[in-house]
Amino acid sequence: MIKLENVHKYFERQHVLKGIDLNVQKGEVVSILGPSGSGKSTLLRCINFLEEPTRGIVEIGGRRVDAQSAKKADIVSLRNSTGMVFQQYNLFKNFTVLQNVMIGLTSVKRIHKAEAKKQSIEILERVGLADRLDHYPAQLSGGQQQRVGIARALALEPEVLLFDEPTSSLDPELVGEVLATIRKVADEGNTMLIVTHELQFARAISDRVVFMEDGKIVEEGTPEQLFNHPKVERTKQFLSRANRND
Amino acid sequence: MENLLDINFLIDSFPAIISRLPVTIGIAVGSLILSLFIGVATALIKIYRVPVLRVISAIYVSFIRGTPLLVQIYLVFYGIPKIIYYMQIEYGWLQSADVNSIPPEVYALLAFSVNLGAYLSETIRSAIESVDRGQFEASKSIGMTPAQMMLKVIFPQALATAIPNLGNMFISTIKDTSLVFIIGVIDIMGEAKILGSRGLAFFEVYIAVSIVYWILCIAVERLLVKVEKRARRYERGIA
Repeated sequence: MIKLENVHKYFERQHVLKGIDLNVQKGEVVSILGPSGSGKSTLLRCINFLEEPTRGIVEIGGRRVDAQSAKKADIVSLRNSTGMVFQQYNLFKNFTVLQNVMIGLTSVKRIHKAEAKKQSIEILERVGLADRLDHYPAQLSGGQQQRVGIARALALEPEVLLFDEPTSSLDPELVGEVLATIRKVADEGNTMLIVTHELQFARAISDRVVFMEDGKIVEEGTPEQLFNHPKVERTKQFLSRANRND
Repeated sequence: MENLLDINFLIDSFPAIISRLPVTIGIAVGSLILSLFIGVATALIKIYRVPVLRVISAIYVSFIRGTPLLVQIYLVFYGIPKIIYYMQIEYGWLQSADVNSIPPEVYALLAFSVNLGAYLSETIRSAIESVDRGQFEASKSIGMTPAQMMLKVIFPQALATAIPNLGNMFISTIKDTSLVFIIGVIDIMGEAKILGSRGLAFFEVYIAVSIVYWILCIAVERLLVKVEKRARRYERGIA
């Protein structure tokens, strides 16, 4: 479903991604772990070109995009086949909950308003927020905002869902409701790529875990392999230190 | 006994002055609308660093800010008919335009739009740039086109931020329209001047016209408070 080939990203002279290769199968849930500054968020943002990769190939659902010759239409196509959930939620502040979910359907997918409303309400029911339709984001808790963020991403029925540290800005007591929602979305069979610091969650939800450091994928495998029998010394260190903090 | 003021004349001058309010308000509101387009266009040119246009718009803003409004009004009033005439003679363009039939209100509207547009440019640019980056990213991530992103997400939020500044500039513009009588527009100031010369009671009519401006500006300020509240209604969190 997702295929990354030799993806590099430079910010000015800083080499942030140093040749990433990654395959994610349809329906697979893959978590990306790693210390801050390892490039995991940048990698996620390169997939929908919120950051343009400096070079390399991004392929989603069979559409290959070479970063060095990417056209506007390619980028639009990548964005249409992905949905993103942001660390800071990034709900449209001037829209209500319902409008946040509807906007993609009406203006991007050009679905009729009444139908878009019906679909949006259904999705908001799935994330448990059908009773907050007319609230503005500022009137919601962080956890509720993030669930709306998930609903907004789901609404467009993307082939791939990208989660960029979805619980990192939340108060600890609100993390649970968002993780539960993400788990539900995973159980529905969605293809998901999750950048997270929630190790236990990643372990429980993922089909595969990828450990990144310094712009490279250091090790990847099933949660069982990586958490219980890491092969690389650096992965061992990271996981043990992180485990202590848990 | 010597009277400081001819109160009756002062009071009697109100109806005639007020009857010209539509001219004053029309020029102010009309130029606000046109200048918003100019302001947004120049702001976007600057934000997106559009080559060539960026230089032109920078020169435009600098020129308008660096020259008196009165001079700009004269430039438009005397310059545009000459330019149209020149194009007709030299190139055969704009044949249908009759330079002599263009009412002075049109020149006033143009001059004020061009003037206000330059001042709005920076206000609008900073308002757009003050919108959280995440709002841009979220718009892109769901596949909105740049135009959809701007119209639906960014401008409404930028506008809410910019309203206090826009409002102040609009109020200044209302007061500045008192200059338009110099090109023959009879606005409330023009009417006051006519009445004053007719009755040789300038102090009275200028008191009257100042009261009209004052009340107008108070009304606009009130209105702006409401507009701002409405534009920012989404910002009210859980109290």
